[in-house]
Amino acid sequence: MLEAVELTKHFKQTKAVDRVNLYLEQGEIVGLLGPNGAGKSTTISMISTLIPPTSGDVRFHNESIIKEPAKLRNVLGIVPQEIALYSDLSAKENLRFFGRIHRLSGAELNKKVDEVLALIGLTDRQNDLVKHFSGGMKRRLNIGAALLHEPKLLIMDEPTVGIDPQSRNYILETVKRLNQEKQMTVLYTSHYMEEVEFLCDRIYIMDKGCIIASGTKDEIKNILSSEHTVEVKVEKVSESFLHALRSQPVIHHITVQERTITVLSPKEINVFRLLFQLAEKTNTVFTSVEIKTPTLEDVFLHLTGRALRD
Amino acid sequence: MISILTAKFRLFLRNPWMVIVMSIVCIIMATIIGAASEKKVKIPVYSTLSAQETNELLHTLNESHSFRFEQMDAKKVRALVREGKAAAGLELAENDFTLIIASQTANTFFLREYLQKVYGEKGQANAIAKQLHLSTEQTTKIVKEAKKHPAFTIQTMSFRSKNAVIIDPQMQPIFGFSLFFVIYTVAFQVLQLLKEKKEGVWNRMILSRLKKWEIYTGNLFYSFIIGYMQVALIFSVFRFGFGIDFHGRFPELLLLLVPYVFAIVAFSILLVGLVKNEQQFQALISLLSVSMAMIGGAYWPLEIVSSNILLMLSKIVPLTYGMEMLKGAAVYDRSLTELLYPMSILFLMGVVFMGIGINLTERKSS
Repeated sequence: MLEAVELTKHFKQTKAVDRVNLYLEQGEIVGLLGPNGAGKSTTISMISTLIPPTSGDVRFHNESIIKEPAKLRNVLGIVPQEIALYSDLSAKENLRFFGRIHRLSGAELNKKVDEVLALIGLTDRQNDLVKHFSGGMKRRLNIGAALLHEPKLLIMDEPTVGIDPQSRNYILETVKRLNQEKQMTVLYTSHYMEEVEFLCDRIYIMDKGCIIASGTKDEIKNILSSEHTVEVKVEKVSESFLHALRSQPVIHHITVQERTITVLSPKEINVFRLLFQLAEKTNTVFTSVEIKTPTLEDVFLHLTGRALRD
Repeated sequence: MISILTAKFRLFLRNPWMVIVMSIVCIIMATIIGAASEKKVKIPVYSTLSAQETNELLHTLNESHSFRFEQMDAKKVRALVREGKAAAGLELAENDFTLIIASQTANTFFLREYLQKVYGEKGQANAIAKQLHLSTEQTTKIVKEAKKHPAFTIQTMSFRSKNAVIIDPQMQPIFGFSLFFVIYTVAFQVLQLLKEKKEGVWNRMILSRLKKWEIYTGNLFYSFIIGYMQVALIFSVFRFGFGIDFHGRFPELLLLLVPYVFAIVAFSILLVGLVKNEQQFQALISLLSVSMAMIGGAYWPLEIVSSNILLMLSKIVPLTYGMEMLKGAAVYDRSLTELLYPMSILFLMGVVFMGIGINLTERKSS
């Protein structure tokens, strides 16, 4: 349905996106995962025809849309990272405005506005001004504004940033429903692993402007099939223990979060014995040791040496 | 485009305070400055007539464009003249007046002439009233009516050289402050475009079925309407609220505001194209609007400026041409054809500024 070919964007001397290749098939949800500054937003701005690429192409049903963006725009809904709404208008007035700019009018517009209000759960608050909404409600309306013209492709740029877990779940369920009931194709960018894991059929992982891994969730997790992810909880994190871990060539990556230390090591190594030996040497007391199934976070850590939210 | 205009006006109605406050401040400033530079000569008056007769006579006298008559007691009148605080004092009687002066000046000469004219007309009305057995009020009404349809009309003209300077202390602050404050109003409406870009509403519009020209036209036309409404409202308040008739050129003035507001809208989009964020825009518009007001003759008439550099700079400021048009019509009594030059300059500035501004804005987007 949509394909980005060798997509590159330079801003003066900075290479924001470097030869990105990705594709979306009709009816699938594709995740674009990466930390802040990875180039996700620039990539989707180019895909959605908002900014022209420095080089490369975007093809929609095998036709380039760089010079003829209208072909894609007519079937595209975009949910920006910002709350792109008029805060001094009510939810209903906002939706009516965004419907009108897609040439909806009269009974059709009223019907669509009511449908979208129901879908995003704001029917009861439709006449309230957006500036009086909670963060979650604004995010839901932000999504609603992109759905009025029933787009075939929905591009969502971190649509759940800064909201409560309840609203986040509502949004994720709504996206899933749109995909299942209306066969809407979704390109979903996020730096929340759990969202991407929950929603997406396929995932692209981006870092420093490049795609560093892609595939289904299982395919990506299989990158770590030869490694253990071991999570060690300690009474107190000591520098000497961390130093000892870092000096071991068989320990690939180490992350520390409060009193939890996560390490990656090859499966053929008996990492338990090594960990206990090092603990004994450095007088470190373990409260628990656990081997975990690798997550996308672990994959990202493995690929980049950094945590996603660093 | 209609959808943009509808949304914008809805937003304006939700929060019209900035425009209202700007208009009120402008009216207050123009009134205060206008009153402070009033050129009427104050004449203290006392009277031997009844209170009603005195009030009627004072009302007639105060129709003068040169003198303002104020009633007080005889002692005070004499004291003011003696101390040189008043050019002359006046005692009102039924058929005659007494002028109290310390020395003969041009003002006392004109004052005597004016008083003789008023008393002459009063005497004439009284004589007619006596002859026709009518009340003075009825006679005055008949005379006024007769004057509306005279047997023949006399047209008077004064000879003035092409470069003659007229400084109208009443028009200057009204025009100056109106044109100055509308810069802020228009600029802050156009600034919404920058905000919409930042907040992503602009991108939603770009990705919609709207054409790009519709988006720009909708936004800029809205800014134009708000700016024009403000200046038209201010002028209307002075015309219908304060009775200032703009020397009979009120309709033309409303027409002449169009190219000026257009140029300011274009100037604002140029600034939007030049700046990177709202803060820069606000800093720049504050700096430029005050500078333009000073250079363009909003604060003081350009006619009194002698610096060639300032006069040269004024040629690149839209406000200069706005003032030139308005004063040209209301103060110098020029026809619309004679004002085509500043009008054309403003339209040209508008087209150039808008072209560059939209181009810069588009470049930034990509």
